[in-house]
Amino acid sequence: MSETPTVDQYLKNIEEGHFKAYKCADCGMIIAPPSGTCYGCGSSNMEWAEVSGKGKLISFTVIHIAPDAFVEEVPYFVAIVELEEGTCVSARLTGFDPLKPEEVKLGIPLTLTYEKGQSGKTYLAFKPA
Amino acid sequence: MPLDNTNIVSAAQTKFGALEGVSMREMFAEAVDKATVGAGIPKKEIQAAFIGTFIPEMLVHQGHTAPLLLDFVGLKGIPATRHEAACASGATALRAATMAIESGMYDTVLVAGVEKMTSVSTNMATEALAAAADDQFESSIGLTFPGVFAIAAVSHMQQYGTTEEDMALVAVKAHKNASTNPLAQFQKPITLEKALTPRYIAWPLKLFDCSPISDGAAALVLTSSEKAKEYTDLPVKIVGSGQASASMNLCDRSDLTSFSSSVDASKRAYQMAGLTPKDMDFAIVHDCFTIAEIIASEDIGVFKKGEGAKAVREGVTQIDGDFPINPMGGLKAVGHPVGATGVKQAVVAYRELIGDGGPNQIPKHDTGIVHNFGGTGATCVVHIMRRSDA
Repeated sequence: MSETPTVDQYLKNIEEGHFKAYKCADCGMIIAPPSGTCYGCGSSNMEWAEVSGKGKLISFTVIHIAPDAFVEEVPYFVAIVELEEGTCVSARLTGFDPLKPEEVKLGIPLTLTYEKGQSGKTYLAFKPA
Repeated sequence: MPLDNTNIVSAAQTKFGALEGVSMREMFAEAVDKATVGAGIPKKEIQAAFIGTFIPEMLVHQGHTAPLLLDFVGLKGIPATRHEAACASGATALRAATMAIESGMYDTVLVAGVEKMTSVSTNMATEALAAAADDQFESSIGLTFPGVFAIAAVSHMQQYGTTEEDMALVAVKAHKNASTNPLAQFQKPITLEKALTPRYIAWPLKLFDCSPISDGAAALVLTSSEKAKEYTDLPVKIVGSGQASASMNLCDRSDLTSFSSSVDASKRAYQMAGLTPKDMDFAIVHDCFTIAEIIASEDIGVFKKGEGAKAVREGVTQIDGDFPINPMGGLKAVGHPVGATGVKQAVVAYRELIGDGGPNQIPKHDTGIVHNFGGTGATCVVHIMRRSDA
């Protein structure tokens, strides 16, 4: 995995169902979504990193009013998930009833998955572990 | 060192709302004319213009707006620059104008903000607003603006016990204050029950937790202290100005119950002014959503972290409370024409400070803090203003 990561490839990896994070080649910090500079040490030397797919729910919402591209999918969850590797990503949340959001508890363990949108696009997603 | 040379000597806004048949340039002209010739300030005295507008390219298909707007108000020729920082566009224009006066480069400048949002469909306006979030990593999975603030609300509720009813009380206060503000988009008080109507936009935020889509413009004239005396006996001084940035992405924030740009910008403004939150008599904060007012009141240091909702419950933030917030009705009920908002907030602060608040006048009004927030909070601009005789 010596190839230099790019934003395009990061998004393509999600589309292909093989999420990878960035990793700082100098200090080893795992970073996602992509940043041009390491939040830990300031280096711009990035490489790809495989992740365990384990995460924890930090917060979420249920979108009821959406832009045109997502209108067919409402109501849907969008969550902030902290990966085991320490970085946080925004993703869809599956496996819960969007009309019963009060049943979703913050802090629960989650596992990486993918969700296919109505447009055919693949979203990064998480489901209950 | 507190700023000493920047004075607001006049301030005006148009009515906010769906201003059918009024174009962007006409709204702009109404606000500018009121703030200049309407206040006895000849336009020929204006040496430069700082214009806040967010995204006219998508809303009215017009770029390069600053010279276009200046030409329409008869100010062709002077330097005219547009400032864009999403919903904080207006305050970044004000801050640039403040720096221009403080530097000694100009004596008298115009600051104005404008947005025409209702000539496109609501979907198109929503899409234009979404351009202020990170398109590749967050908007692309369907996260909306109300969604961003809903996530902050969920975290705040979990951490501090803030409730949907607390947020609804912010909306009730906003509508009550706007009911006596003829320039507001919504002029009817609402009940708590109505504010709690479960029409979810992004759970737990409901329709009445959200500011509307609006048209409108606002303008200020700023001058040096020397020049200010020619225009008014009661100028308002900008004594502190702070700006900060933060990550666009919500997922890159370490604390979702607070917005770091608000904390950083307000600290910088207080430090410059040599003042603390205890020296403030009132606040104008960016209440694009009800939860945003609660969090902002904590982030600018007025209330302790986690106690913003309690202050709302106890009536502290009402016009006649111990610390009024958004006495004219805020973005929530007055409207939120994005680029105009930051300038309009300064117009409100100016009017309250000089005692021109009418039925919305707050009792103690020497010093105020004005907080303008951009997009997901990636930009925040804070100004501290003080009446010159205070």
